[in-house]
Amino acid sequence: MPPADPVHAAGTADRVDRGVGLVRAARRGDTLALHDLLDHLTPYIARICRPIALDDGPDATQEALVAVFTSLRSLREPEALYGWVRAISVREAVRVAKRAGRARPAELADVPERGDPQLAADIDDVLARLSPAHRAVLVLRDVEGMDEESAAALLGVPTGTAKSRLHRARQSFRKAWSA
Amino acid sequence: MNASNESDGGVEGRGGLLLDDVRRMHVMVAGVRGARLVERVLPAPLPRVWQVMGDLEGGFGEFQPDMRSVRILRRDGDRVEALARSRYGLRAHFHGVLRPGWCWLQSRFLVIGMAAVEAGEGTGHTRVALTGGVRVPGHAALVPFGARHELEEAMTRLAARVG
Repeated sequence: MPPADPVHAAGTADRVDRGVGLVRAARRGDTLALHDLLDHLTPYIARICRPIALDDGPDATQEALVAVFTSLRSLREPEALYGWVRAISVREAVRVAKRAGRARPAELADVPERGDPQLAADIDDVLARLSPAHRAVLVLRDVEGMDEESAAALLGVPTGTAKSRLHRARQSFRKAWSA
Repeated sequence: MNASNESDGGVEGRGGLLLDDVRRMHVMVAGVRGARLVERVLPAPLPRVWQVMGDLEGGFGEFQPDMRSVRILRRDGDRVEALARSRYGLRAHFHGVLRPGWCWLQSRFLVIGMAAVEAGEGTGHTRVALTGGVRVPGHAALVPFGARHELEEAMTRLAARVG
């Protein structure tokens, strides 16, 4: 597993401390702490799953949370919570997106010309044309702040592959932005 | 997505609803070993269903098979503390969370979880999920034996109450 960057992932050190504290309490049998952990982790997991799984974001978020909660006892170091959750979320989001048949690798020629004047719509359009794995690289690098090597390790692909995916994904975005 | 809050039907964040409350209940059940979940669509609108389920001192005790009476001791935002008495005279001192469409209560020996969401927009039906049972001390776990039967019974009573 790549080194966790919990503060970057969770926003603030206080939030990280809270998450780790809730995990410890939940593992001692406190289901109310488990409940609060669900509230605490849902926005973070959704932030990872949604841009990868797109319309299936809620399914991916739910399945990632179920995977996290089912195996919470197997988390050796509660301090590693966010890196562990991030890895599970990416894996589940890619799996759900592939299952939903939305794996459509982008070719640069496929990047849409200026259509909808709304930038958000352009971004959604470009995202939808990337494969789940490409979207995962984008999320890990540009949203989660991971380097290519860590992203590659998490996705189980060679570093070169992650770099080329990132390069292509960024080119797609640049073209959409400047169209 | 730093901004999030809990509102009717689930946890909401920037960009809309992240996960509705019945989905959230499935996650909770995944985290509590031995927990069972009973889910059903009831032919009544959400406000009517939650009026019964969320009324801890009233409707709640009428459909939960083992609850004779519940008294709320304290409320602070969505946090709630309540004292319940079972049909057999046993007392349970609950701490938990009560929001529209969502309730999670825990005492030393018991857990109760309830969720309700609209079952499709404009259908007038409500999807309800129930879980809960007797806790295994020191673990996020429930004694599985008989739990499903109790939950099914609660769901049947609730359906009759709101139908």
